[in-house]
Amino acid sequence: MTYLTFGRTQCRVLWRRKQDTVNALLFFVMVVALFPLGINPSAAFLAPAAGGIIWCAAVLAILMAIDGIFKEDFRDGTLEQWVVCGLSLPVLMLIKVAIHWFAVVFPLLLVMPLVSEMLMLPSGSFWVLVATVLAGTPCLFLLGAIGAALTVSLKQGATLVILVILPFYLPVIIFATSAIEASQVGLPYIGFVAMLLAVSLLSLVVSPFMTAVAVKASVN
Amino acid sequence: MLFSASLDVSNVWIERSDRDLCRDLSFTLRAGEVLRVLGDNGAGKSSLLKVVAGAMTPLEGRIMFNGQDVTSHRALLQQSMVYIGHGAGLKSMLTIEENLLSYCPATSPEQMQSVLDILDLANHQETYVKALSAGQSRRVALARLWLSQCPLWLLDEPFASLDVSGVAVVESKIQQHINEGGMVLLTTHQALSSVVTRDLVLS
Ligand SMILES: Nc1ncnc2c1ncn2[C@@H]1O[C@H](COP(=O)(O)OP(=O)(O)OP(=O)(O)O)[C@@H](O)[C@H]1O
Ligand SMILES: [Mg+2]
Repeated sequence: MTYLTFGRTQCRVLWRRKQDTVNALLFFVMVVALFPLGINPSAAFLAPAAGGIIWCAAVLAILMAIDGIFKEDFRDGTLEQWVVCGLSLPVLMLIKVAIHWFAVVFPLLLVMPLVSEMLMLPSGSFWVLVATVLAGTPCLFLLGAIGAALTVSLKQGATLVILVILPFYLPVIIFATSAIEASQVGLPYIGFVAMLLAVSLLSLVVSPFMTAVAVKASVN
Repeated sequence: MLFSASLDVSNVWIERSDRDLCRDLSFTLRAGEVLRVLGDNGAGKSSLLKVVAGAMTPLEGRIMFNGQDVTSHRALLQQSMVYIGHGAGLKSMLTIEENLLSYCPATSPEQMQSVLDILDLANHQETYVKALSAGQSRRVALARLWLSQCPLWLLDEPFASLDVSGVAVVESKIQQHINEGGMVLLTTHQALSSVVTRDLVLS
């Protein structure tokens, strides 16, 4: 096995099971679409809340996508093969998470213009939303992978993942929505985006190693 | 191809669920040898193989490969071995060929064809692994052995769910491998005719 064939195999498997990703995306769009219907479709209510609604829906969709990323690999024995294949496990984990990040976030960004229009997000804040998604979601995936790897051998894994990693998601949600709110009222927002970027970079350094340790413990 | 490699396992102590599976276990494996690990269900055969493969860490003990200590950096050993555990390690949504190429990317189409012919899977090249029977998936998993040109084979119950002809093919492949100077460490509950050089009994 090489890093290249590993990445290619991951992409192939993801493509053949694209229904999972599509489900997460549909879930995201549905949650966002229900808010104006359920609460109040006026711009006065929606515009200030838009950033928060979009981010909460995105976090839930990402949680859905991430909690099972190692399930199949654990069941069919490939997780064990990665541990013993002689390649660096943290690098393999990083490749896997990066591919999943791209597979979920890229379509998410594609529907972003639509949902921000639905929630009447001011056009000036749209690019701030995109920036927060790009800067903040890597952290969600990297941390989520640790939780998914820790709980992969447990039967009731899915709910446990959510309990384990949701607290770590809160700062990301807070920084991201603060950035969008700040941009709407004309305050500087770069600081918040920089914080998101910093958190993502930090988890980029730490998470692959912790995921690898958790995977090793799980195949034991 | 002729291999020459050696594996020395000394004083390993494996504990699982707070129970000692083995203590101070030592064995060596030289080129051209097949070592069969025997023991009851739950004796720790699979655990021993996992420890050698590096999927589990022993409490104590040292593993040398070709005279080099690989206890803490296993990559050297791992690049020269194939480990096939209870799980087949195949992706159900990929075809046989895609699965095998993901492990052995250097395989040529002719090699692939000949291996599938030997394993009686020639008509299934484009079949998704999820559509194979248990024995057929086992055959695909074992096909990695002779595509990957590694001196050390670690086989955990390789004959599980294989039919008579499957067992015969794998046995002859093991024979051929040790004739070329390879090493095999295997566990099985199957009575094997000739290939086993030595037994290691876990109690
Ligand atoms: N995932 C696990 N977690 C904790 N303990 C385990 C686990 N798997 C196995 N064990 C314990 O370790 C012991 C050895 O298991 P192992 O799988 O090595 O046995 P084995 O000799 O391969 O048996 P078999 O012939 O049934 O394959 C068993 O007693 C079992 O209770
Ligand atoms: Mg076993």
